[in-house]
Amino acid sequence: MTVREKAPAPTVPPRTGNRSVLARRQATAGRIFVAPNLLAVAVFMLFPLGFSLYMAFHEWDMFTPAKFVGWANFHRLFTGDPLFVIALRNTVAFTIGTTVPTVVISLIVAATLNRKIKGIGVFRTILFLPLAVSTVVMAVVWRFVFDTNNGLLNIMLGWIGIGPVPWLVDPKWAMVSLCLVSIWKSVPFATVILLAAMLGVPEDLYEAAKIDGAGAIRRFFSITVPLIRSALSLVLVISIVNSFQAFDQAYVLTGGHGGPQSATYVFGIMLFQNAFAFGDVGYASALAWVMFAILLVITVLQLRFSRRNSLEQ
Amino acid sequence: MADNQSPSISGLERHRGRPFGRRTLLRGAGVLGASLVASTLSGCDYDDDALTFFFQANPEEADARMRVVDEFQRRHPGIKVRTVRSGGDPMQQIFTFCAGGKCPDVLMVWELTYAGLADRGVLVDLNTILAQDPTYAAELKSDSVPALYDTFEFKGGQYAFPEQWSGNFLYFNKQHFDDANLRPPGSWEDAWSFAEFLDSAEALTKRDASGKVTQWGFVDTWVPYYSASLFGMNNGASWSSPWNDPGRMNFDDDAFIEGVQFYADLANKYRVAPKTADQQSMSTIDLFARGKAAMAMGGHWRYSTLSETAGLDFDVTVLPVGPKGHGSWSNVGTTGLAISASSRRKEAACEFVKFVTGPVGQAVIAESGLFVPALKSAMNSAGFAKAHIRVHNLDVLTGGPARSRHLPVTPAWERVDALMDRNFGPVLRGVQPATSFKTDLAADVDKVLRNQ
Repeated sequence: MTVREKAPAPTVPPRTGNRSVLARRQATAGRIFVAPNLLAVAVFMLFPLGFSLYMAFHEWDMFTPAKFVGWANFHRLFTGDPLFVIALRNTVAFTIGTTVPTVVISLIVAATLNRKIKGIGVFRTILFLPLAVSTVVMAVVWRFVFDTNNGLLNIMLGWIGIGPVPWLVDPKWAMVSLCLVSIWKSVPFATVILLAAMLGVPEDLYEAAKIDGAGAIRRFFSITVPLIRSALSLVLVISIVNSFQAFDQAYVLTGGHGGPQSATYVFGIMLFQNAFAFGDVGYASALAWVMFAILLVITVLQLRFSRRNSLEQ
Repeated sequence: MADNQSPSISGLERHRGRPFGRRTLLRGAGVLGASLVASTLSGCDYDDDALTFFFQANPEEADARMRVVDEFQRRHPGIKVRTVRSGGDPMQQIFTFCAGGKCPDVLMVWELTYAGLADRGVLVDLNTILAQDPTYAAELKSDSVPALYDTFEFKGGQYAFPEQWSGNFLYFNKQHFDDANLRPPGSWEDAWSFAEFLDSAEALTKRDASGKVTQWGFVDTWVPYYSASLFGMNNGASWSSPWNDPGRMNFDDDAFIEGVQFYADLANKYRVAPKTADQQSMSTIDLFARGKAAMAMGGHWRYSTLSETAGLDFDVTVLPVGPKGHGSWSNVGTTGLAISASSRRKEAACEFVKFVTGPVGQAVIAESGLFVPALKSAMNSAGFAKAHIRVHNLDVLTGGPARSRHLPVTPAWERVDALMDRNFGPVLRGVQPATSFKTDLAADVDKVLRNQ
């Protein structure tokens, strides 16, 4: 075995040469294939990232030359802009109001779909349909659903004796409406991830638990949830990031200004308004980096927490 | 050796054996992709000699606008015009175009927002045109309504020439007024008071047996917080001091607050106008067009739509005057034509702007019924009267520009507008009184104006 393994190296030197030629060719081909993606990442991600960081320390109205202002944009954001506090409060409320129900509902739906029942594929397909709908289209349709006097939702609530709810007109209800739409949009994706994780849980664990007398709920919380912890963690992080960056649904659903009465004025709307309505690109860039920093801290904390939990287990 | 050769030989054989090898396929795909990208990019590049004209219009307005453009091209065969129609937010679109280096040569601009563009150096100071052509300058000045012309003067520059008056007045349903045996005023001098207006609106509001409104006395088709401010203006207050590049807004003025409160009460207290929730399923202009409202506040931009609505018999009247007001006033609503500072076709752009805002173009506009033209000669022409044959109170339109008061002209308008939107909301919903402006809105807006 040893002789046979070692033999080709000294006796067939050209083969090594050919191999390296082949390897070089393959490496070159690989680089060529990767190049367009790398280029796209550089042009559409790295450059804007670097540019926005640069702009965050400048005052720029898109037409006159940018002026270096140091930390002034950040200082103004934290001390001189009351809307920042409103946007932060709304974004946190929206993130919690979207993420928690999304995870809970997705868990329940995924557990329901994780069964070997005839025709379950049809239900899975129907549930995933919202994923295929554009957010703007979805928000426009929901505007009709939320109509106070003639909307489908209030008509249905009327059947059970509940009076018309001013969904998009009253500031408190407007935030609830925005959360509802986002939950409706987020649940399918979260369900896909959780269902895939649930399908990977070994069947014999459930059988063993059954023999030991564990009920369905006990099996779910003692076997399923711990074994899909990493998928749950992923869903949580993605939901938080998506909620924090929400823009399109808020823009279409409540008219683009974060109304009524700033009730849906989230960071996404604030950023867009400062950059494209006020033409204050430097300030908008500073806000974008503050959003990034907040998300980074939340994500790192969340990952550390989940890692510690898994180690303890 | 055989081992070494076999892959390359077999590869060669495979290559020879197939007319279309893998590499050829990939290269071909690469070339095809590159050519597609190149053709797409070149397809986006409108680098021809056509003069680009950016404007916002609904479909009916766009047709009439094209008549003016066609007439210009007929008289100036050497200048080709390509129109660029705006989407929902023209200012954002202009920002994007101009910041991206693709600024249209000629821009339609609005009285409230043009200063933001002028302040950033996006627009040409048209005084250069006037200096080159003193005859045209003199004609334009003498035929213009000062309120409209001066609106586009900012920090010593003239950044647009007005092309229309789009101030607000009231449309009314003649049948509903006849049924109620009411007659609104026919001219700005013969104005009605807030109380008379309210009495009429109450008489014209109809309810069914369940109390549900079947016909509103008044609807607003403009921006509610602007309309409310116009009621404040008609109670004797001006929006800002001064109107051009103001240092402060008069949102804390008692007369202004009283006017705004009256407007808010129309929906919340007197129930003669729909609340926001009542407008969700049907727009206010549709309510008026379908005979479900007796009066509608709006400008001439609604005229095309309403005049083409079958079965709607309407006329126009003036806005009511508050107890502290001195006569009925509209607002200097106007759009003008400006030339982009980065335009490479400034001469052609200049010809186009002079044509559309000059006597010939304005006459075409007057005959089209598209706008209330900005020049007095066109406004009082037979062509304009003929295009508005259904309007009995034509004085409301022709006398409107002279009975208009300025809105604030400031580069900080977008920020002021955002604050107004936010602070007027609770007042117009009836949750807060308009006196709340004294403690929050006025101070916030003044801060914005100070820091601009």
